[in-house]
This record gives sequence, C-alpha cells and structure tokens, in this order.
Amino acid sequence: MPAVPASSESVVLPEGVALHARPAATFVKTALRFRSRLTVGSDGKVADAKSILAVLALGAGGGTVLRLSAEGEDAPAALEALASCVSGLVE
Amino acid sequence: MSNLVGIVLVSHSLELARGLADLASQVAGADVRVEPAGGGPGGSLGTSGDAVREAIARADRGQGVVVLADLGSSILTVRHLLEGKANGHIRLVDAPFVEGAVAAAVVSSAGLPLEDVAKAAEDARGASKF
Repeated sequence: MPAVPASSESVVLPEGVALHARPAATFVKTALRFRSRLTVGSDGKVADAKSILAVLALGAGGGTVLRLSAEGEDAPAALEALASCVSGLVE
Repeated sequence: MSNLVGIVLVSHSLELARGLADLASQVAGADVRVEPAGGGPGGSLGTSGDAVREAIARADRGQGVVVLADLGSSILTVRHLLEGKANGHIRLVDAPFVEGAVAAAVVSSAGLPLEDVAKAAEDARGASKF
C-alpha cells in the first residue's frame, strides 16, 4: 500500500479556553471518529489526539497554537473536523 | 446515546468511588453510565459483592461493562463475582484507577465498543501526567 503523507495544520485555542477536562474530552471525542493516526502538538510536545490522558498532559492554555497532524485515509476530513472543533471550544 | 459501554468503579471507599465517578462523568459527559461501588457493610472501608453486582446492573446498557478496582481485595471481590460467568460482556481491567476510569469513560462516550474501552483503561498505565 502506498504511504499516505502526513498532513498538518495549525490552529489557535480560543482565549480563555484551556485544553483540560471537558474541552479536552470534546477534542478527543472528535478525533475518535476517524481512522487516521492523529496527533496534536503544543510547546514542543506531541500527543496522540485520541488519548484523553495524553491530551491533558499537554497542558495547553488558551491562545496556544496547536499543531494538528493526520496520517491515513481520512486525514483531510479529520484535520478539518479537529480544526473546527478547536475553534469552537468553550470552557 | 444510550447504548454505550458502562463503567463500574470498585473502591474500598464509597467516597473515593463516588468522587471518581463524578470526575469521569464530568469529563466524558453524562451519556456514559459511570457507577460507583464503594465501601463495605454499614459504610465501613471494604468492598461488597452485592454493591458491585448492583452497580454492574445499573451500568449495563447492553454493550458491556468495564470494571476498574482500586486495590487488592477489591479485585478479589470482582473476580469472585464474575467467576463462572466470564462471557466477556463484563470485563475487569488491570488499570490505574483514576486515569483508567477517565480514559475509559471518554472512549465509551465516543460510542466505541467494549474492546476499545477496556484497552483505553489498560493503556492508561503508560501515560505520563506532564
């Protein structure tokens, strides 16, 4: 099978919204809808976007730039959904 | 969504089981049934097979139940209860109590099957906190 190149996109967490507890769970639930390997990076750390514990461990605060990466058959749709999810997060 | 995998939290302490059920529900959302089974008879520290059985019945919506236990004899209580009915529908997992409960609840809330919910709990063992 030909390798599917990873694609990525940067999004900014809304001001005042940290990627903790409920917002993190909303993000992870979105990631779990896709088959692709999905990661989220912040401040030099990279987490599996489908793991609530890994996403919580990023400790990303409001206004932080998140680097989303996707690798797999549904990567474009996953990136779009995750970026839209992040933009719409509320506390 | 009502057909999600249920979670049962077995602790020697009723307060610990209730508090963790509350935390996991707050993070994952109210759709997932997270049921505490804590304490022994009369509110003492311990575990009760009856309490575990009732919690499993409350958590079971037909897609299976993942059971997490805190320490030592709480594992024995669950094992004893499940003996002879190991049909795979009720799964005791070897997982860290707090992290495993939260991870399992979030994966269940996304509508994933028992196998994935159990794996999320067990994978919590390797997760760094920071």
